[in-house]
Amino acid sequence: MKPSLYTILFVLIAGQLCRFGLPWWAIVPVAALAGWMFPQHPAKSLLAGFAGGFLLWTLQAWWIDQDNNGILSARIGALFMGLPGWALLLLTGFLGGLLAGFGCLTGRWARDLVGQPAKTI
Amino acid sequence: MRFIRFFFALLITGLLVWLLQTPQQAGNKTLPALGAFFNPFSGFWRNAEPADVSRHLPGEIKLQGLSGPVRVSWDDMLAPHIFAANLTDAVLVQGYVTAQHRLWQMDLITRKAAGRLSEILGERTLALDRLSRRRGMGYAAENDLKGWQKSPENTRLLEAYAAGVNAWVEQLTPADYPLEFKLLGYDPEAWTPLKTALVYESMAETLCSRDDDLAATNTLAHFGLSTFNMLYPEWMPGQQPVIPDTGQWKNIRAALPATTIDAAGLTGVSEVDQNAGADQDMDGSNNWAVAGSRTRSGHPLLANDPHLSLSLPSVWFQVQIHLPDQNSHGVSLPGVPGIIIGFNENIAWGMTNVGQDVSDWYKLTWADSARTAYVLDGQPRSVEWRIEEIGVKGKSALRDSVRYTVWGPVVYDHQPDHALRDCALRWISHDMPERNTFDLFLSLNAGKSYADYQRGMNSFDCPAQNFVFASRSGDIAIQVQGKFPLRKKEQGRFVQDGSQSANAWAGFIPQDQVPSMKNPSRGFVFSANQHSTPPTYPYYYCSPDFDSYRGRRIYERLSAMRDVTADSMKALQLDNFSRRSGDALPAMMALLDRSQLDAGGKEMADQLAAWNARYEPELLAPTLFEVWFDSLYRFTWDEMYALREAKKDILLPASWRLIALMRQDTANVFFDDQATPGRETARDMVAKSFLAMQNYFRQNPEAKTDWGRSKGFIIRHLAQIDAFSRADVVVGGHRNAPNAISKNHGPSWRMIVELSDPVRALGVYPGGQSGNPGSYFYDNMVDIWAAGEYNELLLLSGPEAMPANRSLAQQTFSPK
Repeated sequence: MKPSLYTILFVLIAGQLCRFGLPWWAIVPVAALAGWMFPQHPAKSLLAGFAGGFLLWTLQAWWIDQDNNGILSARIGALFMGLPGWALLLLTGFLGGLLAGFGCLTGRWARDLVGQPAKTI
Repeated sequence: MRFIRFFFALLITGLLVWLLQTPQQAGNKTLPALGAFFNPFSGFWRNAEPADVSRHLPGEIKLQGLSGPVRVSWDDMLAPHIFAANLTDAVLVQGYVTAQHRLWQMDLITRKAAGRLSEILGERTLALDRLSRRRGMGYAAENDLKGWQKSPENTRLLEAYAAGVNAWVEQLTPADYPLEFKLLGYDPEAWTPLKTALVYESMAETLCSRDDDLAATNTLAHFGLSTFNMLYPEWMPGQQPVIPDTGQWKNIRAALPATTIDAAGLTGVSEVDQNAGADQDMDGSNNWAVAGSRTRSGHPLLANDPHLSLSLPSVWFQVQIHLPDQNSHGVSLPGVPGIIIGFNENIAWGMTNVGQDVSDWYKLTWADSARTAYVLDGQPRSVEWRIEEIGVKGKSALRDSVRYTVWGPVVYDHQPDHALRDCALRWISHDMPERNTFDLFLSLNAGKSYADYQRGMNSFDCPAQNFVFASRSGDIAIQVQGKFPLRKKEQGRFVQDGSQSANAWAGFIPQDQVPSMKNPSRGFVFSANQHSTPPTYPYYYCSPDFDSYRGRRIYERLSAMRDVTADSMKALQLDNFSRRSGDALPAMMALLDRSQLDAGGKEMADQLAAWNARYEPELLAPTLFEVWFDSLYRFTWDEMYALREAKKDILLPASWRLIALMRQDTANVFFDDQATPGRETARDMVAKSFLAMQNYFRQNPEAKTDWGRSKGFIIRHLAQIDAFSRADVVVGGHRNAPNAISKNHGPSWRMIVELSDPVRALGVYPGGQSGNPGSYFYDNMVDIWAAGEYNELLLLSGPEAMPANRSLAQQTFSPK
């Protein structure tokens, strides 16, 4: 369980670097690093990465949306087939999760390239 | 195996990134790159403005180029109040704060005017770009700038404004870009004085580029002179011009050229594509000033509501500019320094469009088959080429060569079947300004008296405006100001022969003879895009645009008003009575045989008979009447509609002609239905159109609703993005009523100023100060405007004078 938790926390914390002008896909190398550092069963890496990315993007968007009284999410939602604000948040989280999940898996399998396959729990 | 699965994961991840990095095509819509757009660190979420907007307005800002500190106090409508030691500093900060809220709008307007939309939107805007360029929009803006830069003072101001805009642009990271840049996937670029000229030309194109030369030529050739004169008289009896004849023109008659144009010799009849319609939604406006003799307080009152195509972001940006020697508040155009419509401690001013025709077409006689030379006074003359290179996103650039003649550009020769393909455009806006347009606004912003207003007027060329004026010292005035061609009678109404230089404008109306009026005994001045003068004015002019109804209504109301207050001014700006329908309805009811109607028809007729021609949002009668009148109009002018259907540009008669014929000539040949063997009269057409109306509502029962909904009012986002538009606003009004709200045109700014001590002012526009759809201030004034309410416009003496309950944020800009 622990590597999953560490992965999620790492993505959440290191993901904050994205605030500082890094390209939007910076979440991918961040998650890959987590996958490398906290080896576990590849499926778990994928899931933990997904959870970290999902939380990072959803929470950040949610925070912004609260502060904005949902003005913009209502308009962007209307732009995307009339999605309600919460669906827009989930969609944002899903994209972040997808990127971080596969990033994490890539990092996890990259570690296997050097030396023995890491022991997985 | 390990390698394979690693590369598999890498590939999937890479594909995912690539997919989310690439704009996607969904049907006919282009979706932005989803990863870039949705990520909450630099995508659209970043444009969601905090409810406490002061967090976006830091207290201290360093700005290069300032000579001293500038304070900005933001009020609760997000209007900046700028306090500077000199005008250059103020304009620098004006550029900065305008860009902060309106950068994308400024970019779009200048791209449209310059014919550069295709650079960002691709091939679908190529025809539009090409036409803007071929009409010489860029050429006109370059000439404007050359004229303006003759004055070092103006050059300094234009550059300071650009520096302010650029200081904002330069500190932006892609995450900070306005939302539309992210949606459309392009980057902001630097501002230049030329772009200010392009904004200016975009306004000129809106206000003074229309003409009916081709349609009038076709119509005259088709119907002959006597019918033409019967259907399209230039003067509507009973209207009130901007400036009445008080004998002031008696002595200038002799100065005019005597010849009239030879209408029979005109050519150029061919086909052209054009949308038909009864009264068009037009860019018009109202303004008036009432002298102290008619007001309750004894102080003059001034009101102005310019009607334009309504958009989000809004046309206007509200601002106060305070300097040691001047203090003015009003609305500016994003991209243009200074205040365009507003007031200061001593005077107030406003504008409506004059609408005289300053755009003529000249038919060329080519001297060679390659059309590289044309004949002028019997001699061949080479065309000059202007090469336009139009960038197209995703494609190679289009190089277009445009021929320029002594008259101007040959606009349509890229369309071989266009009626105007061999014609050159003479448009006043192409001319390098002789006088300095900006001086007007500088004079008004700093003005203290009628003399300052007059001095300012002398410098204004184009687009011609009816400038209304009132001062605290008690003067009211109005002037039809612009550069007007000296025309022979009917010159410019039709396409002219471009092989004779004698057909050129003979010069311009001398500045001291433009129509003007100060402190008339009737105690008010006004304009509403009607005729500038009665026919006794010695100079000839024509217009495709003169309005016949709002002016009459405003005149009637102002003549009847005593004890005028700001509230009576509000009531007049919000007046939903349409003089056109007030004239048409009794005439139509008199011709309607109600005994022939079925039960449903009788009920509709009862509703209409009881209606007072007010376009109130909750009434059904206006909805019925619009369909009835429109049907009648189309049935009566079926001859014109048939020709227009065949792509021949034909003039549609003004609606007052139809009303006059119903009253005076019910057997007129135009009431005859071309499709039947019999001979119909006005009575038949009224009955037929009434049945057509009934039919229409039978087939479209959902359309039978109150006027506010039926109108389909919408304030559109400038890129036509529905999600950023406002279609939910229910308002009354009508294009021919003082409250000229039509489907997407209307009062773009309502201002009322009482020239008391201190000056008191009210104002509102249908939008908001922010251009960001993620801001509360994007559209917060829409509902205030729709409810007919106004904000008090604060003319502060200093940043600390901002009332606490209206204060949003305070900023200090200091030199870098």
